Amino acid sequence: MAQYPTEPLKCWPKAKELRNKFYENYKQAHEKGGIRCMGSAWALDAVTMGLGRDVYWITGEPYGASCAFDSPLSADFLTAAENFGFSRDLCSYMRNYWGSIIVGKYAFGGPLPKADFAYTQHICCSHGKWYQNACELEGGDVPLYVIDVGVGACPPFEPEMYKHRVKYVADQMLDSIEWMEKITGRTYNDELFFEACWNDMRLTHTWAKICMLNRAVPAPLDEKSIYSLYVFAALQKSSAAFAEFYEELLEEVEDRVKRGIAAVENEQARVMTDTQPPWGFLKIYRYLETWGLVSIGSLYTFGLEGMWVYDEDRNDLRPRPMPPEKPKSREEACRMLADWHLSKPEYQHFYSPEYKTEMMDAIAKNWRCDAIIMHYNRGCEGLSVGIAENRLGLLERGNKVMTYEGNMGDETEFDLPSTETRFDIFLESLGLKKQEA
Amino acid sequence: MIEKFQEWYENRHEYQEKYKERTGNKIVGYFCTYTPEEIFYAADILPVRILGSHEPQDVTEPHIFGMFCPFCRDVLAQGLKGKYDYLDGITIGQSCLHLRQAFTSWDLHKNPGWSYFLPMPNHVQSKRAVPFLVEEYKLLIKKIEELAGKRISDDDLRQGIDIMNKVRQAMKEIYEFRKEENPPITGTEAMYMTCAQFFTDATEFLPVAKEVNRELASRRLDRDPGKRIMLIGSENDDIEYINMIETLGERESVGCTVVVEEHCTTTRYFWDEVDTDIDDPLRAIAERYVLRTPCPSKDWPQRTRLQRILKLAKDFRVDGAIIIQQKFCDPHEADIPFIRRFLEDNGIPTYFLEFDVTVASGPFAVRTEAFLETLEAEEDLF
Amino acid sequence: MIIAGIDCGAKNTKAVVLRDNKIIGKGMILTGFDQITAIRESLHAALKDAGIDAKDVDKISGTGAGMEEIRDADVRVNEVRAMAKAANFFLPSARTVTDVGAEMGRAVKIDENGKVIDFAINEKCAAGAGAFIEAMARALEAKLEEMGPMVLESDKSIPMNAQCAIFAESEVVGLIHARTAKADISKAIHDAMASRIVSMIRRIGVNKDIVMIGGVALNPGFVDSLKRELEIDKVYIPSDPAFGAAVGAALVLAEET
Repeated sequence: MAQYPTEPLKCWPKAKELRNKFYENYKQAHEKGGIRCMGSAWALDAVTMGLGRDVYWITGEPYGASCAFDSPLSADFLTAAENFGFSRDLCSYMRNYWGSIIVGKYAFGGPLPKADFAYTQHICCSHGKWYQNACELEGGDVPLYVIDVGVGACPPFEPEMYKHRVKYVADQMLDSIEWMEKITGRTYNDELFFEACWNDMRLTHTWAKICMLNRAVPAPLDEKSIYSLYVFAALQKSSAAFAEFYEELLEEVEDRVKRGIAAVENEQARVMTDTQPPWGFLKIYRYLETWGLVSIGSLYTFGLEGMWVYDEDRNDLRPRPMPPEKPKSREEACRMLADWHLSKPEYQHFYSPEYKTEMMDAIAKNWRCDAIIMHYNRGCEGLSVGIAENRLGLLERGNKVMTYEGNMGDETEFDLPSTETRFDIFLESLGLKKQEA
Repeated sequence: MIEKFQEWYENRHEYQEKYKERTGNKIVGYFCTYTPEEIFYAADILPVRILGSHEPQDVTEPHIFGMFCPFCRDVLAQGLKGKYDYLDGITIGQSCLHLRQAFTSWDLHKNPGWSYFLPMPNHVQSKRAVPFLVEEYKLLIKKIEELAGKRISDDDLRQGIDIMNKVRQAMKEIYEFRKEENPPITGTEAMYMTCAQFFTDATEFLPVAKEVNRELASRRLDRDPGKRIMLIGSENDDIEYINMIETLGERESVGCTVVVEEHCTTTRYFWDEVDTDIDDPLRAIAERYVLRTPCPSKDWPQRTRLQRILKLAKDFRVDGAIIIQQKFCDPHEADIPFIRRFLEDNGIPTYFLEFDVTVASGPFAVRTEAFLETLEAEEDLF
Repeated sequence: MIIAGIDCGAKNTKAVVLRDNKIIGKGMILTGFDQITAIRESLHAALKDAGIDAKDVDKISGTGAGMEEIRDADVRVNEVRAMAKAANFFLPSARTVTDVGAEMGRAVKIDENGKVIDFAINEKCAAGAGAFIEAMARALEAKLEEMGPMVLESDKSIPMNAQCAIFAESEVVGLIHARTAKADISKAIHDAMASRIVSMIRRIGVNKDIVMIGGVALNPGFVDSLKRELEIDKVYIPSDPAFGAAVGAALVLAEET
């Protein structure tokens, strides 16, 4: 019995097209003399845009997730990585990625296109190693630049955004520009960089605004759909096309809220989740819907790329305001972008789990969540670091929390029936009832 | 005198507690070797490394997800079980994700009143790392001064540098003896030594190390050195395992001696000294920590450990290398396939063992023995 | 009102018959590959034990890993809810319940009404406490019933890997070769398994009183190890603890009827 009106998202076909084009562009980059770049979804890709309008990117985490969608292919990649000698408890995105190189297949058809250079950042133990190894596996002739962003937390978790921390990141960016000029032979275009820098900030700012709209009851977006939308920020933050897409999406979601359009028509209760989902098993979100449950999102979907500010007096999370003006010099752009990125919500727990607990609690309270479901993700140390303390902290703050173990990118580590049993136990304990189809 | 190291290793808590009573100084426990001990010594605060106890425990599961390494959980258990209640503070120099959870959970649940997370930079191959670290040290010093109740001067820093350099030199001199045909010091004894240095005041450690150095010149061990083995890997103080393989020769037809290691309870910890030619002591300390043998989590874009490992292997004339990896240790897991290939390409056979808090002595003995036998076979072929 | 509760577990299928919330019959059959037969036969055994016929049964409640196969069940209750109810019924002051079986280990935090507040289920590392003890009995060439009492004979404490049964098995092999006394090895095994279960219990908090159900509760050695790991004097175990979940399932249905 439907409680709310529902409609599919109008921008869905465009989203699919944009994403497919992104992976096609990477494949075809050389055909028009363009450059291929590989790096992490957290890489400061905007900096590479100063090389020209024909720099095409692939980011490792979304690519790893895409591999995980295709079970047989992923199994091939993971086996190849294991046979090479990589342990099974390493990040499963990485193993899929390395496997893809070893096997020589692209998850989007054909052989794997080789990057011209690798450009990434490092905050979890594995980021730098990921691309170090990828470059080695590609034959050892793919140059690599890594920017260290592990410099400490941002306000309010630290008294201030220390200038020397921003400088360290900004200086590495400046050094990388010189490095890129050398290895590509191209002259750097600062104007393109300023544009890209501004795209990055408006895209990640707009994404946060979209997530804010999910405070509405009923929620206009459900997390399973959100995964297909947040990914653009993970594919390439500096893309003008993606920034414009988010602006369109924002309008559409505002409209849905105005008209009371629900993502889940029988929304009875709301949850938030944590860490990446088991990508090969997103149907668990549909399973939760059979209990009338909508997942409104998570610090992961909101703050992996979205930029927010935590207000500790109000226990609230709000989109970080855009800087007043666009950057006018290379140094200013580097500092601005460094400062912007260092305030990323999903960077803070690297320094203390408490920071993440506070932000998660802010989401639970302000987005009206009845419970929290945490994925103890064996596939990602970076986002699971401190997760057990998050659970304790959230329980202390009066939330109802359940956990399940799994792996975002390795289906051998996820047990669907037993996870569904856990959901049943938990949701029943909340007083919910499974709804008849 | 060499037994003193084992005594300190086994009685670390007694030593550390009595130290407080004797000197009136404070003690800060640290979790990772990227902690700048020089600065703590400058403040007359004793920095002691916290290692696990190799006992199974059931107290950390609510705090650390089981897929993080057994070492970090063993370390946290020491805190949760009250073994370190005498500490005045805890600190960590940022490196791997696993161990930092021991620090953050300890900070949350067993906070001794002072704690500090130092964002030790990861891009150690960049010229930007040192200036950044110097600024971070300035923030750290402000906090240390609060704990110490006194200002730290450049001279204090120089004293801290001096004592740490001296103990590093003393240990390296002792390591020279391990290059001999029949080393007068076993791997087990060397491990006791380097770990004892974690748990003691360097000024008290130094004279003992110097005395041992003197003794080693004429010490002869009544044992067959067997194969010369190098240990490479994660944090490791598995004395039980090292002792077991070094006494294999008494029971079996092959034996070995661990002549050198590349892990962070030994050479990665102490090999590199502070350059005292650098005028500014804070900058000198920062350079030392940036340029030291890196933890694999910081060893990129170049994998510099390969050359360092090879040099140690050659200098110590190693027959084979045993890669000891803490279960679930990501930084090492990312490097190991390349280290193994590199060593084997350079004529050094390798064997891989995965460690947990307790060691399956029997099966590990069998496997190690089998590896040592292959080294025998290698020689015969040529 | 006569209600039957059936718990189709990984190793054994247990059935109980309750009349007005009093247990009047019990039956247990090895589950094997054919769950449906095991379900039928265990119920049959319970009815025989109670001295009644199938037609006397008003309702059937099902639980356990194989509960979907309990075709005649009027209601299916998840094991956590069942164990919570059973513990509350057995001991109203119970606040922590643990159920350790062949494969599964569970811990539940309950309130004074037997309502589930929080729960933990053993994860990948550490499944199979009961099965592991059985396998080690074979390795030690001891009877399973002897394994538990042996624990009480030993006064040694040999540390053994408590996270991974595979690692632990390696260590047992090592101890056997080193000619360690069987009793000491048995104690080490039980302590390691108990440590796993206690780790899990600590996730939901150790709140008295503590009730243990499930087949492994019949192992006095395991119970001893558990008490030592928890650092408590008393763990409450109902008679026939293996039937705990089945009883709980029947009670849940009785309450709802």
